[in-house]
Amino acid sequence: MPQRRIIRTIAITALLAAAWEAVVRFGLVNRIILAAPSDIVLAAASDGGIFLRAFATTLAEIAAAVAIAWTLGVAIGIMVGSSRLLAAATAPVLSSIFAIPLIVLYPLLMAWLGIGPLSKVVFGAFSGFFPIALNTIDGVRAIEPRYLALARSIGATRLQTYGRVILPLALPAMVSGLRVGTGLVVIGVLVTEMLASLGGVGFLISYHRTLFNTGHVYFGILLALTLAVAVNIGLTRLDRRIGNWRLREQGEE
Amino acid sequence: MPIIEVSNLAKEFNAGRAPLRALDDVSFTVDKGRFVTLVGPSGCGKSTLLAILAGLTAASSGEARIEGERVCGPMPGKVGMVFQDPTLLPWKTAFANVEFPLDLRGDDRAARRKRCAALLELVGLTEFAEHYPHELSGGMRQRVAIARGLAQDPQLILMDEPFAALDEQTRTRMGHDLLDIWTKTGKTVFFITHSLTEAIYLSDAVLVMSPRPGRIIDTIAIEFPRPRELDIIGSAAFGAIRNHIWHLIAQAH
Repeated sequence: MPQRRIIRTIAITALLAAAWEAVVRFGLVNRIILAAPSDIVLAAASDGGIFLRAFATTLAEIAAAVAIAWTLGVAIGIMVGSSRLLAAATAPVLSSIFAIPLIVLYPLLMAWLGIGPLSKVVFGAFSGFFPIALNTIDGVRAIEPRYLALARSIGATRLQTYGRVILPLALPAMVSGLRVGTGLVVIGVLVTEMLASLGGVGFLISYHRTLFNTGHVYFGILLALTLAVAVNIGLTRLDRRIGNWRLREQGEE
Repeated sequence: MPIIEVSNLAKEFNAGRAPLRALDDVSFTVDKGRFVTLVGPSGCGKSTLLAILAGLTAASSGEARIEGERVCGPMPGKVGMVFQDPTLLPWKTAFANVEFPLDLRGDDRAARRKRCAALLELVGLTEFAEHYPHELSGGMRQRVAIARGLAQDPQLILMDEPFAALDEQTRTRMGHDLLDIWTKTGKTVFFITHSLTEAIYLSDAVLVMSPRPGRIIDTIAIEFPRPRELDIIGSAAFGAIRNHIWHLIAQAH
């Protein structure tokens, strides 16, 4: 069965590609607006190495930004969430920052940090941080006090209470923040690369767009999409693992 | 020999403008190995008293001692807690929940596993060791919580209305089985309930508390021979004690 499905998928894809190629070849659409599949293959063949290096740059920027956003978002979220005072003082500020389009701040970052990878990492981490921190705060605030009483009564140290009771209890709520936040990191890095930079997939898309190399633009977009899909698959896996456990928790009332 | 010594204990909460007096001049002792129950109307400060004994809340004045040591924080090696809600960690199996306090304490793995297996057998859950909390009934979850309370081998078990959320049949059965566990382990149990029947059936002595501010208004020795059968609940002697306690509480209003 799955074999037949694979064959069917390949056949449909090939058919669509052929139709697409034909539409462009017969001049039904301007080549600058719609590149033919063969243009994309050509772009990959001629400048594949450059694109690969750009892909690696973007990947590294995203990885660094995700690491920072997750670490800071979770750490600050747990810290703020555990203190009623801190939560009351900072949560409104965090939510309002989350509500503004952060991209308007990018010119400032560029002025401070230049147009190299650093400004991309900082911007990506910055935009991913807020949903992660906010969801972590909510997750920690929602933990019932009885769990903390339990931790104290069995002699858990502070570190054990945070790591082995609070963190796992807040995890289901945190995951939705991680999903949104990671998505925002990917967007943030790609968009800032397109705005002003010297490397990365976003830069190549932008660069070839100005040269009307539509095939190259399409190849860049394809790479960006692949990246986004891969990140999303990873996050879905994570969500599913923790989702199972969310069900269990509901069972416990 | 007393294991619990409470003298002139008082507790005030600063709720709004007027301080709320929850406990007023509470003094009593509980001898080692006894099953003693505290009864009183809702909101009389029973749970506050238990929280002070558990070291989870500080008294405003007076003192509590356990095994001669003044209580100023949780004493996990000396005092086991069982809460009204089982408060099991939803991502851990029954076995792992019982093991959790020993795991935090850093006990050797083999010793830990042996002890937990014995405890699960004691509470009759050997077959359910690998089940998660959501797969267990309310009574079973509370059995797991009892086993966890016994894990660090404390001499004293504090129980805060542990069977209040259970249906009557399960509740009666749990009481019966708790007596069995108490007999086998020789622990001291200090138990809170507002069911007079439960209190009289289980206990060697019943402490009667007045409405807020809570004071101990009487201590009633229960002299039914052990092991006790459920039939005694219907006896005239049982009913007389029940009425006596009921009048004490009603008069104190």
